[in-house]
Amino acid sequence: MKAITSFEQLEGYRERVKAAQKKDLPSVLICFGTGCQANGAVAVAEAFREEIERKGLKVDVNVGFKTTGCHGYCENGPLVVLRPKDVLYLKVKPKDVPEIVEKSLVGSEIIEKLVYKDVNTGESVAQYHEIPFYKYQKRIALRNIGNVDPRSIDDYLLCDGYKGLARALTMRPEDIVSEVEKSGLRGRGGGGFPTGTKWRSCRAVDSDVRYVMCNGDEGDPGAFMDRSIMEGDPHSVIEGMIIGGYAVGAKQGYIYVRDEYPLAVKNLQAALADARAMGFLGENILGSDFSFDIRISRGGGAFVCGESSALMRSLEGKVGEPRAKYIRSVEKGLYDKPSVLNNVETWNNIPVIIRNGADWYASFGTRGSKGTKVFSLVGKVNNTGLVEVPMGISIRELVEKIGGGVLNGKKFKAVQTGGPSGGCIPDSEADLPVDFDSLTQAGSMMGSGGIIVMDENTCMVDVAKYFIGFLVEESCGKCTPCRDGLPRMHRILSDITEGRGREEDIETLTELCDVLTCAALCGLGSSAANPVLSTVRYFRDEYEAHIRDGKCPAGVCKSLITYSIDAAACTGCTLCAKKCPQQCITGERKGAHVIDASACIKCGVCKDVCNFDAVRVE
Amino acid sequence: MEKITIIIDGKQVEAVKDQPVLMAARENGIDIPALCHHPELESSGGSCRVCLVEAVQGGRSRIVTSCNYPVRAGLEVNTSTDQVMKIRKGVLELLLCRVPDSEVVRGLASKYGIDEPRFFKDEGENNRYKCIACSLCTQVCEDVVGVSAISMQNRGVEKAPGTPFHKDSQACIGCGACAYACPTGAISMKDSKGVRTIWGRKFKMAACSVCGKPYIPQAQVDWIVKTTGKDRAFFDKCPDHR
Ligand SMILES: Cc1cc2nc3c(=O)[nH]c(=O)nc-3n(C[C@H](O)[C@H](O)[C@H](O)COP(=O)(O)O)c2cc1C
Ligand code: SF4
Ligand code: FES
Repeated sequence: MKAITSFEQLEGYRERVKAAQKKDLPSVLICFGTGCQANGAVAVAEAFREEIERKGLKVDVNVGFKTTGCHGYCENGPLVVLRPKDVLYLKVKPKDVPEIVEKSLVGSEIIEKLVYKDVNTGESVAQYHEIPFYKYQKRIALRNIGNVDPRSIDDYLLCDGYKGLARALTMRPEDIVSEVEKSGLRGRGGGGFPTGTKWRSCRAVDSDVRYVMCNGDEGDPGAFMDRSIMEGDPHSVIEGMIIGGYAVGAKQGYIYVRDEYPLAVKNLQAALADARAMGFLGENILGSDFSFDIRISRGGGAFVCGESSALMRSLEGKVGEPRAKYIRSVEKGLYDKPSVLNNVETWNNIPVIIRNGADWYASFGTRGSKGTKVFSLVGKVNNTGLVEVPMGISIRELVEKIGGGVLNGKKFKAVQTGGPSGGCIPDSEADLPVDFDSLTQAGSMMGSGGIIVMDENTCMVDVAKYFIGFLVEESCGKCTPCRDGLPRMHRILSDITEGRGREEDIETLTELCDVLTCAALCGLGSSAANPVLSTVRYFRDEYEAHIRDGKCPAGVCKSLITYSIDAAACTGCTLCAKKCPQQCITGERKGAHVIDASACIKCGVCKDVCNFDAVRVE
Repeated sequence: MEKITIIIDGKQVEAVKDQPVLMAARENGIDIPALCHHPELESSGGSCRVCLVEAVQGGRSRIVTSCNYPVRAGLEVNTSTDQVMKIRKGVLELLLCRVPDSEVVRGLASKYGIDEPRFFKDEGENNRYKCIACSLCTQVCEDVVGVSAISMQNRGVEKAPGTPFHKDSQACIGCGACAYACPTGAISMKDSKGVRTIWGRKFKMAACSVCGKPYIPQAQVDWIVKTTGKDRAFFDKCPDHR
């Protein structure tokens, strides 16, 4: 491949790729995201290749065949999409492949057993974009993922890739900054800092060297939006960074990728090599006098390495530990040079903003939070996975429409948003629009976009304890409030959940929260109070029930609950007695059974297996 | 060195631009407690969080650590507002939980009305003796002495300085700079009968040819001679008799 050195050449090349495409060829797209690969997508793809060959068909002549990035619906993987009919098959096994090729690829039949079935209505939906999980999404950041082969730069070019860069290079750098400012884009890494403002401050500092960096550390447990973007559409991040480099005057960029993301590293590396070969990176990009390149650096492993100052230390080859940020990194960042650090999703939005204009982007979202946001929706909800929605959608819509409601018809209790140092928002506040400012006001935060749905069987004190426990493990230990405060908070929460709560505990916790918020060195410590403060704010009665009455209303905290069998409801089927690991359930066949509370370990097996809802937890 | 005027506790004071607020305050006779900052070490500070003050800049007020908050034009600092005192007290209570044996921390905490913390104290495996994990020792060793014999290890509560793999450090020259830098006296260093024991190693001391007192580890002399080219004879006499 010869490097492209002008805009005309780029468009010419794009046209040639387009012309070479066989449109409307019946095609099969197999999700090769980390989730689907773990569920066996590789074997499914292999089966397709064999079956296509066995039938005497040729890829790119009679049928299309492609592996793509993550579609976000991982729990139903491996996913297979058929184009142009837009049919989605779920949980596909290699043994299903001959039938799919025969009936749906060559023929036009739909295989009922492989399509989505709505748990609430029982209805089958075959069309990808009609499935509730996808129907209500607005995909801007995830625009290409699932459509393009992440290893093919031609695929990216077919989706108008590098058009944003071409346009940017015709603009003055300061006008790009203004455009980004006007778009209202705010950082997707958690803080929500206005991206354009950050770029402007960096430009304003006098220096001959500047850097741009991409934060792909994604340490929030359960979050995988950045991974999906890096794996599934690496060029979008690269293009964004080249535009950013041009806008702020940087010649070098770095992508810091979490070490646990080997596929992201591989796809990014391949994409960088292709972009270099085509002349999108390197000297005199597209014939301009702008030169820029990007290096990949693998993360240090700890959650705190995603924090900006720790990340820069780590990039410099030092221990990834936070340091004071009173002098901002736009002034003195990487190697003490003015630097811009943005999140993966932030960078990935840049090319479309430049391509389609700030006004277009700003037409999505709310007043203070423009555009869309990718969330990872998990927990007690029917449809889980990665979803992208316009900012401002309500929590309830997210949970009910896209998520298909709470699992097993249970009652919705709360969502936890923002990662381990986010907060919990109760059902009563679920009409709240999801955007940066509303979430913060509600005592939680956007964070990187994790949303965990909790049902009525969740104990909120236990939830707070869980997240504080996570943060205890992740505290780097550099500063006193976080290192020594979190374990004390955790101890108090454990005491409460184990029946040793004291009347003053809630107040002591609040005081500790105050010390952490005001005095911790980095964002990990200063936001660590959220899980406690938000649960105290919305579920104070639950804390009080634990402390005063020695009861766990949700029936979770083992020290505070007892299991018993309602004699009236028990049919004497003996199932529970057979399953009890302690063998502490006795009773005659067809007679009411009894649990020996002194031997019971409160594992809940009896309740799970009982078909007559006869086991009581109090 | 650009001199500017800032306000600390309502008083106008002269300070150098970008100098830590803590230093500016001290130079003007205003005391702020601080444990982990060392004026000679640029990267020190920011760990103990005892030196908190309120900084008002550009109409925005926040609690910052004075040891690394830079002096800039228009800055107003309040060292003992109710909130500052309350948070500082909270920090000291937590420090006391970590190092209940430290006289320094105990003394400081008691000034703020804390004699016993309300929370559990670190003991058993988590007892780091008097160490508050501020890393002054490792910074001195690396940045001033230049040998990097010790480093901060582990994270969270477990964070503490140590020699590589907890084995005797071959790099250590026994100079004791770490022990002198430690704000809480957590590093054990014993000189006895011409031998210094530190970080689990014994160092033979060179004696002064005038008073006969062993005053410097032989390994330190070797190190200085090797790295600076200084005349070995210079170390024949202790500083008192040079
Ligand atoms: C403990 C901690 C962990 C963080 N982890 C990440 C992360 O994994 N990815 C990320 O983009 N930002 C993370 N951040 C936020 C970054 O510090 C920084 O604000 C962000 O990368 C800036 O990019 P943005 O403006 O595009 O959001 C973390 C912050 C803290 C305090
Ligand atoms: S707040 Fe926690 S993670 Fe951040 S510097 Fe302090 S100890 Fe380390
Ligand atoms: S002296 Fe400032 S944080 Fe320790």
